[in-house]
Amino acid sequence: MTKNSKPKVQLIPPGAYPQMLSKPRAARALRTLQAPETAAKAQVAMEAAMPAMRAAILQYVEEMERSADDMTRLFEAAHEIRGFAETAGMITTGRIAEVLCRYMDDITRFGRPMDTTIVALHVSAIARAARAEDDNVRTGQAVAAELAALVAKRLAEQS
Amino acid sequence: MSGPGFENLKALIVEDNAHMRSLLRALLNSLGVKDIAEAGNGQIAIELLRERKSDLVLTDLAMKPMDGLEFTRYVRNNDHSPNPFVPIIMISGHTEKYRVEAARDAGVTEFLAKPITAHNLFARIAEIVERPRAFVRCDGYFGPDRRRHQNDDYTGPWRRKDDFQTTEAR
Repeated sequence: MTKNSKPKVQLIPPGAYPQMLSKPRAARALRTLQAPETAAKAQVAMEAAMPAMRAAILQYVEEMERSADDMTRLFEAAHEIRGFAETAGMITTGRIAEVLCRYMDDITRFGRPMDTTIVALHVSAIARAARAEDDNVRTGQAVAAELAALVAKRLAEQS
Repeated sequence: MSGPGFENLKALIVEDNAHMRSLLRALLNSLGVKDIAEAGNGQIAIELLRERKSDLVLTDLAMKPMDGLEFTRYVRNNDHSPNPFVPIIMISGHTEKYRVEAARDAGVTEFLAKPITAHNLFARIAEIVERPRAFVRCDGYFGPDRRRHQNDDYTGPWRRKDDFQTTEAR
């Protein structure tokens, strides 16, 4: 390919299009973003949101348990759990949901049949972790690690 | 006191999960952002963008009937888009490489993997404020420059398949 036949690209530098904030505001905004008071306010906001998020996660767990025959719905519920369980402080729940989503996503992309036993194991583990008073117990973490190893092995066999 | 700098910012949250919308709103509030619109999917978000100026968009990826990728492509490429340059932060639990690349190729400005933390969200916003990226228009793509680490002092050979001549916008 000659130099002249290469496709042209138009580069539009930041100064040539409207910015989110004007320069003086941007400097103040950066100070706000880095201020300890902002972090403290955000922490309060996160903590205030947690009870509702935990309640919602338990609803998604029920939805997942009811959807054993509908993998699309089950995946959607697991995806929601993966999305904000850890934000709500439910670390183990979120990690097991992450492994389940990865398994379901990859196996679908590979065009392979879903192993319903693997799915059921994860659903059960997620439900137990989510309903445990302290979901981040060592047993839960061990279960999450074992399930992750199982899925990695199964995906390696299938890919 | 938090707030200075963001008090006039208009934000749009596009997310189908009401709890996540509420959390994102609360986090933006903690920065002092007060004018925040919410949409449950990309289609509603497009209507809102037409009705109301937005300076920053936070969007989920997986939504129905219009997901975050389609929404981003509309904002960047559609002739009727009110602001093709608006910064878009995509927030998603779908963190597989091919999905992140799809988001980048749709034209998102930043990608934030769930679970969300205030620190991570603020870091993405700081990136937009501190280091606004050039936009690129070429065949098949319009959006923020996808090359993050450009070395202006580079004097070596051009080896990438897609290295091309560039022209500045007039």
